[in-house]
Amino acid sequence: MSYGVLQERDWNALADEEFRALVRADFEAHYPQALRYAPRRLRWHEIRDWYLRMAKKGWIAPNWPAEYGGMGLAPAKLLIFIEEQERFGIARFQDHGVLMVGPVLQRFGTEEQRRRFLPSILDCEHIWCQGYSEPGAGSDLAGLSTRARREGDHYIIDGHKIWTTLAQDGTHMFVLVRTDPDAKKQDGISFLLVDIKAPGITVRPIRDMAGHEEFCEVFFDGVRTPVANLVGEENRGWTIAKSLLTFERIFIGSPKLPEYGLAVLENLARARGVLGDPLFRDRFAAVKLDVVHLGDLYARFAATLVRGEALGPDISMLKIWATETFQRIAELGLEVAGDYGGLSGEVSIGDADIDVLSLFYKSRVPTIYGGSNEIQRNILARQVLDLPS
Amino acid sequence: MSDDTLSMLANAAAAFAKPDSKRLRAARASATGFDRKIWREMAEQGWFSVLVPEAQGGLGLALDAAAAIAGRIGYAAYPEPFVAASVLSTAALTRGDNPALAASLLDAVACGERIVTLAWQNDAGEITPQSTGVRARDAGAARMLSGSCRFVRVAAADTFVVAAHVPGGLALYAIERSRAGLVIETEAAADGSASARLVLRDVAVSAGDCVATPACADAALAYALDAAILCSAAELTGIMERVLELTFEYLRTRKQFGKPIGSFQALQHRAVDIWIQKELSKAALAAALKRFDAADATPQQRSLAASSAKSRAADAALTVCKQAVQLHGAIGFTDEYDLSLYFNRALVLAAWLGNGATHRRRHDALSQSLALSGEAA
Repeated sequence: MSYGVLQERDWNALADEEFRALVRADFEAHYPQALRYAPRRLRWHEIRDWYLRMAKKGWIAPNWPAEYGGMGLAPAKLLIFIEEQERFGIARFQDHGVLMVGPVLQRFGTEEQRRRFLPSILDCEHIWCQGYSEPGAGSDLAGLSTRARREGDHYIIDGHKIWTTLAQDGTHMFVLVRTDPDAKKQDGISFLLVDIKAPGITVRPIRDMAGHEEFCEVFFDGVRTPVANLVGEENRGWTIAKSLLTFERIFIGSPKLPEYGLAVLENLARARGVLGDPLFRDRFAAVKLDVVHLGDLYARFAATLVRGEALGPDISMLKIWATETFQRIAELGLEVAGDYGGLSGEVSIGDADIDVLSLFYKSRVPTIYGGSNEIQRNILARQVLDLPS
Repeated sequence: MSDDTLSMLANAAAAFAKPDSKRLRAARASATGFDRKIWREMAEQGWFSVLVPEAQGGLGLALDAAAAIAGRIGYAAYPEPFVAASVLSTAALTRGDNPALAASLLDAVACGERIVTLAWQNDAGEITPQSTGVRARDAGAARMLSGSCRFVRVAAADTFVVAAHVPGGLALYAIERSRAGLVIETEAAADGSASARLVLRDVAVSAGDCVATPACADAALAYALDAAILCSAAELTGIMERVLELTFEYLRTRKQFGKPIGSFQALQHRAVDIWIQKELSKAALAAALKRFDAADATPQQRSLAASSAKSRAADAALTVCKQAVQLHGAIGFTDEYDLSLYFNRALVLAAWLGNGATHRRRHDALSQSLALSGEAA
């Protein structure tokens, strides 16, 4: 069977810069100005029109092979596509279906699962959420305790997931569940697909410090999901979960967000009249170089991908440097803001309207998610520096 | 230059220059701070002509070749002044406008027979050609140079190429150390090398001594300084590599409380952070070399690239060395342990040709002016 809409052309046949220009022109012509660099994750009703357009155009899944309805982009082109999205400040939607479920089903799923789920990801009918973290399993993810026991053709799930991004908008969830409580902890985990509307599921949004509701708790109370929704083999879910952490890890280290942060900081400093102040200048120069060197480091990893090689565990340093650089920028912004640093939302400072706090809030989370920076340092210490455990 | 050629060169450099602390300590105790015999062996490797165009009898390689050698010299903590007496001088000599003089000096440098360095700086924190403290006074047909230059890295040089303000701009003059009117005051550097302050009192020079006239001296010196700044960043990166090796090995083997201290998370995280600084320095250096060597690079873009790499490498090297001492404990602060050789070298190289703060300021100023003129930074 064929998936999604037919691609207009073979994108990989274009020169890199030609492809970049084409993507950039499309985004600039069609993406709503008001949604650029959104201060928070947008809800589905806010960003739906854009992604339905992308679906119709066949651009919803740039990372999938064309045979499954994706754009089929080679690494160099995919990096360009994502860089251009970031450069223009295009808001993400709840894209776990595209980023995670699709690639997992293409690699580990059955033909039946692919037919059942891939088309609905491509046309945005299904919005997928990730059920990984639990109240008792954060950095120690493999210690998760949500249980699934087999009963005939179904699994019965009981437990509690947390930090599930935008589950209020989700229609489906992929969850890591414990199917063998007696095995070594990584060996008793399975990867299940669940319909969020199934009886026994309760979604409760969590209000964060910035006043937004970007993540949720999800309770499972005797939830039934068909055995046909098991991906891969029973008790082999950990391998699948880990396989998702390869390619995507470079994006969390992209310099685009810190570059945007620098631009906001510069506007703020101008509005506050300190752009020429030597004290500010020296610190601004330092964070500017931090971003330049982040770009240099990112280019090194991007080149690895473009050569078709796999990323190693050293990619963790990119996440650390990108997210902590972004924090330093936002913290300098807060300091420059002075009294304005206590006002929320867009604040008028001189002739400019600047949202001081959203940048600051936004910078606090990336050092925690995707494996906290402390976990990244553990990984580097053991796997790259070869320090003893 | 191609990755293959570069890695061949790096391998050859690695085979030649190995850490040998006994030799380093002996050299440190000598008057010049380095070993002329090793200097001649380095010449035999062809290292002193890598930056000399083929038309002038050299290898005609790009700056990344010199940086690869400098990186290895840093790793082995060689005190022989490759950057100061080869990169800096050959990059300037090849851009002058006195081919006969340049040819004879370049030949003498290439074979290791003569040590030539540049004297161009009057005060700390200066990194522009115009900062020389030497001026010309014309008396009839004769030209006399007077003034002083400081932070000349190689006090033992046979020939100093001195930048001087002359009518019409800046000029470079080659002056042998024995020339009348030249006084060489040495200052001891932290790593055991001898730095010099040159004082010139009516040193008579002729057109035959002039390496570069005002037509090209400023550009030649600016190019040479940026090239040397980048290579000093490379040398600092090599130092970081070796210091991290020593430190990680210590963390793996030193036991306290019945365990290797490298198993403690507090120390692991510090180790990771200094390792990241080294990786950033490497990435910044590689990117800067590419920008520096680009065919269409403007002088401003070359300076921007040099400042980007040196600002990171200088600060990172000091951070790495300071943390390395802390991670070792008291043994790390002894002269007897090899870390001291690297730390003191890092102090000298970080300070020379502009420290981290100086380059951060220059990078900021240049990136603002490039942004204003609409050039890509």
